[in-house]
Amino acid sequence: MANRQPTSISDELKTLIEGPVSVVVGTRDSRLVPEITRAWGPRVSEDRQSVSLCVPLATSRKTLDNLEANGQIAVVFCLPTNYRTCQVKGRHAKAAEPDSTDLAIVERHRDAFAEVTAPLGQPREIIEAFWRAEIETSAQLVKIFFVPEQVFDQTPGPGAGRKL
Amino acid sequence: MSAVSPLAITLESIATCFEGVLPSSVCTCSAEGTPNVTFLSIVHRIDSQHVALSNQFFNKTHENIVQNPFVQVVVISTSNLRQYRLDLRYERTETEGAVFDQMKTRLDAVASQTGMSQVFHLHGVNIFLVLDCRPMNAETGGEGLLKADYLSPIEEFTARLAACGGLESVINTSLDALSALFGYDHSFLMVPDEEAKRLFTLGSRGFAQSGVGSETWIGEGILGIAAERHEVVRTTSFGRDVTYSNAIRSGVRSRGEDSLLEREIALPGLSKVQSQLVVPLVAHDRLFGVLCLQSAAVGRFLSDDERVVRIVSRQMAASMALLERIESAEPGSIGQSERATQPTGASTIRHYKADDSIFIDDAYLIKGIAGRILWKLLQSYTLNGRVDFTNKEIRLDTSLQLPDFKDNLEARLILLRRRLKDRCDFVNLTQAGRGHFHLEVGRQLALEEMP
Repeated sequence: MANRQPTSISDELKTLIEGPVSVVVGTRDSRLVPEITRAWGPRVSEDRQSVSLCVPLATSRKTLDNLEANGQIAVVFCLPTNYRTCQVKGRHAKAAEPDSTDLAIVERHRDAFAEVTAPLGQPREIIEAFWRAEIETSAQLVKIFFVPEQVFDQTPGPGAGRKL
Repeated sequence: MSAVSPLAITLESIATCFEGVLPSSVCTCSAEGTPNVTFLSIVHRIDSQHVALSNQFFNKTHENIVQNPFVQVVVISTSNLRQYRLDLRYERTETEGAVFDQMKTRLDAVASQTGMSQVFHLHGVNIFLVLDCRPMNAETGGEGLLKADYLSPIEEFTARLAACGGLESVINTSLDALSALFGYDHSFLMVPDEEAKRLFTLGSRGFAQSGVGSETWIGEGILGIAAERHEVVRTTSFGRDVTYSNAIRSGVRSRGEDSLLEREIALPGLSKVQSQLVVPLVAHDRLFGVLCLQSAAVGRFLSDDERVVRIVSRQMAASMALLERIESAEPGSIGQSERATQPTGASTIRHYKADDSIFIDDAYLIKGIAGRILWKLLQSYTLNGRVDFTNKEIRLDTSLQLPDFKDNLEARLILLRRRLKDRCDFVNLTQAGRGHFHLEVGRQLALEEMP
């Protein structure tokens, strides 16, 4: 893991991260077994040095354990309208309970996501039912912060994986 | 390999997760311990213990699994919208065989349809053992889907098909039955031309325009690739990909055959296709046609639909093969040729020798072999007043230059009948018993031969 230093988030990347994207978090345990969880409401800090997002507690227990144990995190952000995708790899900083502002951001994110996916053939009620299914089983969210170290362009195609 | 314990949630019980309707996510980890997470359009279910992921771009995911075989994917059920975690262990990469071929055909077909053939290449199919499959939330079970009863409608379909006495009735009966018995309301059927270079549409159901007579190249686009490789191509979420006709049209343009476009009939198709199932009709390892089902809904055709349509398509192909044999033994003469009745009104019919296209009062009707046949019939009608013809005399008429290596006459006559029905209300071809047909003309015709 040489050459991994904190990196700041560009304007363009901030727009993507905070847009109506699909967000998935990847971590791993001590045996290098990967774990996935879905996240909502990503936000880039004002100094552009950290990113926060909310994960459902009930479905993310192993993710949270992994983050506490080794801090390794990879998060992918994908805009469903054009498949513009980036992956940010970094180090976990802390976990906290989300406040009402965070929850409002999560709501807005879910809303915007449903809005953009509807014209792609996924009716809004399907997308809503999808996150309701998630809320139903895991209403409580945990907010996690991480420090980005590497950013990759992961838009599908031969150029996928290019370091930004 | 050590014995594998049964999965808590069987892959069969969450079958809709593996249809590519909703994207999946995959996480791998390098030997150094850096996780990598990405989206996948589809996780393929291979058997009760294995899934496959395609490798198109030799990316980080592929690099990681070679270093560290542990992988997790999360899939989403389209029936209950729950998410399921699958812990996987990489076993091997396949670069040939049935699984590879099917995934490659599907990838190539969609790539060809969207003009991405130069970009998408399937390097390999990575096969994984499923170590565990569990819902994201512990309390959720499988999908609990009830299996639809397909046996009764399949039996009814074969019964209706068995009663068909000719190619036209096979096509009509099949398309009607697909809608009535299975709810596949938008369908069309294409057959190969004499040189096996193109497919042309012989029948359709459920579209604004019938599209009968429209053509596409074998080997290009979803239809053409399914036909060429004798493989089924199923898409469950075609999304914003370019519409059918546009892609086909741009394919024609890239060949520098722009001049063809004005004499093209548009393929039948829904303007916003999301789901498509293209099944080649194959008997004795020969292609008899291609059946295409469409839907504007995402995830309309799932793996059970594919199996049903594979079964009915084999039945249709077998019927078509059998009818072809009977056809060649048809009677050759007709008892008495009727004289034409006296028509009213007048129309001009032009025949362009260059491509055998026929224009009725300046409106394009048809071209190629069907155009040549119609021109011959109309000449015979205006010169001798003949209205009754047999398939055999057409087949033996050397001036028509019908290719003798593939007998497609019945298909050409059906095409001609359908186009006349669609486009012209005063020239009509009707079948008059096996191997016989009757020409009805309701106007005075002036025939003009053009270069």
